[in-house]
Amino acid sequence: MELNFVSVEGNSKNYKIAVGVLGGLLLLGLICFGTSYAKGHYLFGSSNQIPWGMPIVLAIYFIGLSAGSLILSTLVYVFGQEKYKPIGRMAVLLAIALIFGALIAIAVDLGRPENFWRLFMFFYWNNMTSMFAINGILYGGYFVISIAYLGIILSGNKIWMKRWGCLAIGWAALVHMGTGAIFGFMAAREAWFTPIKPLEFLTAAVTSGVALLIVVLILTMKFTGRDLRKDMVTSLSRLLTIFICILALLIFLDKMTHLYAPERAAVLYSLTGHYAWIFWCLQIGLVVVLPLAILFNKKLRTIKWIFIASVSVVVGVFFERFFLVIPQAGFPQQYYPGHIEGVYGAVGQFAIMPVEMGMSLGIFTMVGLLFLLGLKFLKALPEKTAEELAAAAAKLAPPKTEEAVKTDIPPAGTAGTPPVENKPS
Amino acid sequence: MARWGMVIDLDKCTGCQECTIACKEENNIPHGSPEEQRRRQDPYWHKVIAASEGEYPTAHIEMVPMPCMHCDNPACQMVCPCKATYRRNDGIVMQNFRRCIGCKYCMVACPYGARAYNYKEQEDLPYDRIDPPLRRDLIGNWPFPHRAHGMVEKCTFCFHRIEKALMEGQQIGTEVVPACVEACPAHARTFGDLDDPDSEVAKLLSNRTSITLREAMGTKPKVHYLTK
Repeated sequence: MELNFVSVEGNSKNYKIAVGVLGGLLLLGLICFGTSYAKGHYLFGSSNQIPWGMPIVLAIYFIGLSAGSLILSTLVYVFGQEKYKPIGRMAVLLAIALIFGALIAIAVDLGRPENFWRLFMFFYWNNMTSMFAINGILYGGYFVISIAYLGIILSGNKIWMKRWGCLAIGWAALVHMGTGAIFGFMAAREAWFTPIKPLEFLTAAVTSGVALLIVVLILTMKFTGRDLRKDMVTSLSRLLTIFICILALLIFLDKMTHLYAPERAAVLYSLTGHYAWIFWCLQIGLVVVLPLAILFNKKLRTIKWIFIASVSVVVGVFFERFFLVIPQAGFPQQYYPGHIEGVYGAVGQFAIMPVEMGMSLGIFTMVGLLFLLGLKFLKALPEKTAEELAAAAAKLAPPKTEEAVKTDIPPAGTAGTPPVENKPS
Repeated sequence: MARWGMVIDLDKCTGCQECTIACKEENNIPHGSPEEQRRRQDPYWHKVIAASEGEYPTAHIEMVPMPCMHCDNPACQMVCPCKATYRRNDGIVMQNFRRCIGCKYCMVACPYGARAYNYKEQEDLPYDRIDPPLRRDLIGNWPFPHRAHGMVEKCTFCFHRIEKALMEGQQIGTEVVPACVEACPAHARTFGDLDDPDSEVAKLLSNRTSITLREAMGTKPKVHYLTK
């Protein structure tokens, strides 16, 4: 199947409005970050008991989505599943935008962001027993590898596409297992401490990656007036079903391991305590129950319902991360036998603070903006077929309102450019 | 090389919090507002927890003062990505403010909740430490003397007192002790060299039943508790 890729021209009103709105929100995020940097982290909801807040939630969420969508893109370029080819480039572009967002999220969560470089002084100023330092290698390498991967795909070298794709898939899996290890190796936090965490993270990553890809695919095709291949969406949704089932199994095993052992207070609290509704309604409900109810129902096998199921998974995995980082960290540690009185034995509270939320919103919009700019400056979208063009022309009589597509001349000098450089400064 | 440790007699402790206040004064730890107290955003290097057991007629409360345990096998040092937390040759676990990036991973890893994050720019005076470094062979890197927001802080066993005493030839454990030990009105705390058989702490540990907190974590704390 020969397929040409094009970029959107980005002259339509909708595109400009989208970029403008996202740019404005990004500015808001920057202002929030500046405030927190100048004033201190008391503007955040985190405390000495719940040390990590929204930026870390976003970081691991984005890393998951990024690793997931990169792994999926290798379906095309390594495993030769030609039917997924139209979304291959978009998946890689998305992976780069998301990992950039994740790195920024980690950086702005640091108390001294100007010391960010200290995370990357491997083996010299870094303590390599730290999971953070090891993940520094993984994240940095992943960023470079995925940009090079996009460059290779755009250049169209088939052999290197395959070789580099193999490297990328392995590295992406490592990246997310490493992220899981940050939490899973913490013996002091009872609810986090489980060897299954890296695998659970990896599965959640791939699940949310597939779901996000379906969402982005449907949205992009709709807004740029292309025809959506239904068989592609259905086969992706089948993949999604399998991953959701594996994820549900891993979550079940994780909780059961903790509940079976006599030291079960922390997990029991997270399943029945104040924040249990986040787990049951938002995590289990949105990631497992609702999507599976839709996907297993033959009558609902339409694009609209698959879209709803995918959105539900993407949102639900966010709350899975949220539940892990914030409520589960809030359970007090048992310093001494007995019931610990006062604040040191109380469950930690997390306040929703405007500055933190503004900053998180800014990180979200930055990822969206990078993706939009990537669509404009890189040839990531599949070309319209002759029939689609004809249908679009018939539907819209004045062709000027239609999103124009460059099919003949590629924009010179933009192929292979990492989208990071396209960020307006 | 000495291996500094502390022994706290739970039988003598009354939970008066004098140690917490002395620590705040000595190390110039900022005082938080009630709102910050409620949100647990005020830094404490030392805390006293109350652990209760049983119901009313047979209820029992144990007051447990908790400084940093200065573990021989510190979980915080293991996870610090930037070598900001390090263990000195004499066993004191220190935080280098120059290197700390404020990732809070050590706070997640510490099983004793001994670490506190500095949530805002403090009005207080600079962190009171003697400058310049006295014994580089002993202490390794010299920590940044001024505190800024966005860094993790912790108990230092009042290392500045120890340094000074070593220089002036004073006896550590009898003449010079950390601020919390000095302040304790009930003489519940003893400080000294755990490796020195003649020291007060070594004698107490050999004569009385002692425990360390959360032994299952394998951190080997150097703060020991004498049981009632």
